[in-house]
Amino acid sequence: MVQAGEDAEAVCQQDLPQALKLLFEMNESADKVSSLVDSMLSQVKRGELATEEGLSFLEVKYHTLLSYLINLSHVVLRKVSGASIYNEPCIDRLVELRTVLERLRPIDKRLKYQIDKLVKTAVTGESSDASSFRANPDNMVSKLDEDADVNEDEDAATEKKSVYVPPKLAPVRYDWDESAASRQEKLLERAKRRALSSAMVRELREEFLDAPTELGSRVDSGAGPSGPSKEDRERQEYEETYFTRLPETKDKRKKRKLPTIGSLANELTNFESDFRVLEGEVMPTKKRKSSKKPTGKKGKKGFKKRKSR
Amino acid sequence: MTEGTATIRTRKFMSNRLLNRKQMVVDVIHPGQASIAKTVIREKLAKMYKAPADTIFVFGFKTAFGGGKTTGFGLIYDTLDFAKKFEPKYRLARHGLYERPKTTRKQRKERKNRMKKVRGTKKTKVGAAAAKK
Repeated sequence: MVQAGEDAEAVCQQDLPQALKLLFEMNESADKVSSLVDSMLSQVKRGELATEEGLSFLEVKYHTLLSYLINLSHVVLRKVSGASIYNEPCIDRLVELRTVLERLRPIDKRLKYQIDKLVKTAVTGESSDASSFRANPDNMVSKLDEDADVNEDEDAATEKKSVYVPPKLAPVRYDWDESAASRQEKLLERAKRRALSSAMVRELREEFLDAPTELGSRVDSGAGPSGPSKEDRERQEYEETYFTRLPETKDKRKKRKLPTIGSLANELTNFESDFRVLEGEVMPTKKRKSSKKPTGKKGKKGFKKRKSR
Repeated sequence: MTEGTATIRTRKFMSNRLLNRKQMVVDVIHPGQASIAKTVIREKLAKMYKAPADTIFVFGFKTAFGGGKTTGFGLIYDTLDFAKKFEPKYRLARHGLYERPKTTRKQRKERKNRMKKVRGTKKTKVGAAAAKK
C-alpha cells in the first residue's frame, strides 16, 4: 500500500509541470478569446460588420444542432457524476433548441429540392447558369393518354359553365414524413389484426381453446365478432337520440335474406388476403369492392370517404 | 291469453320541460314469446311511473333478430291536454282521441276544383251541395 502511494506521488511529480503549463495556456487562450469577442462586438456596434442579412437558414441549423449537442453532453456529464438535473438551466435551453429544430423541419423539407440541385451542380460541375433551376413544365404533362386529353378539351369547350361544387371529402390523417418501409409495416400490421379476427381464425379458436363459445345471436346489430359495426352503432345512437326509426337501407334488406351460394363462396375461399398474412407469406393487397360503384355517390350524411394510399 | 313474464326497462330517461313530457327508450325483454302488445306496455309503464295510462304514448318497437328483446320509445305527458297539443295526429288516432276526416283525397280535390269555378260566398254552397253527387 505504501508502495502504491509512492508510485502515485512519482507519477504526480512527473505530470505536475505539464499540467501547470496546460493550465497557463488555457488561461491565455481564454483571455485572447474574450478580447476577440469584445472587439467583434465593438465592431458590430460601430456598424463595420454587415449584419442586415442575419444568419442564413443553414447556419442557424448547424448552430442550433451544435448547441443542442453541447447542452446534451452537459446533462449527460451531470447524470454520470451523480448530480441531479432538477431546475437546471440547460434543460430549458435544450427545450428551446428542440422547438427551434422542429420549426425548422418543414422549411427544410421545402428547400430540400433546391439544396439537392445546388449540391448536384457543385459536385458534378455541370452548367452553372441560373435558368437550369427553373421548374420543368414538360415533366408535368403525362406521356400516356394523349388522345384522351385532346377529346376532353373539345368537350370542355362546348360544356355549359356550371357552379363549382367542391368535393365533400372526410379528412384523413396525413403522415408528414413516412418512409415506404414504415408504411408497409403499418399496412402489414393492420392486415394481421384483421386476419386475427377473421372467420377462419375464430373457428380455429373455438375448436382448440377452452374458452366458452359465444353465440352470435343478433344479425342486424351485433353481427361482427366485436359486437355491432360502427354503422350499426351510429344508427342506434341516432335513433335513440331523435326518437325516430330510420328506414332500412337496400344493403340491410339484402343482408336479411339468407346467404346464397354466390355470397358464401367468397367467404369460404378467401384464404390469401386474410389468413396467410399472419405467417408473413403474402403482402397485404388492397381489397377493391366492385359492388360499391353504383351506390358510391353519397353516404348517409353526404360525405365520401377517400381511402388513403 | 296468458300474460307471460315480460320485463320492461327504461333507458335514456329525460324530462322534456319544453314539451311537458317525459321521454325514454323502452326495452322489453320477453324470452320465448312474441313481442308484447303496446297496450300492455302502456299499463306497465303507468304502474312504473305512476301516471294515468291515457297520457302514455309508446311507438317504434323493433324486435331484435332472434327474438326475446324489443326496443321502442315512450312518452309520458303531464296532462292529456298537452298530449293532444303536441302529439302527431296518427298517434292520437291510435288511442282514439282523433278521427281523420273520412273524405278521400280524390273527393277533396274535386271539391276544390268545383270551388274554383265560383266567386265569393257561393263557394261554400258549391262545396256542400255538389259534393253529394
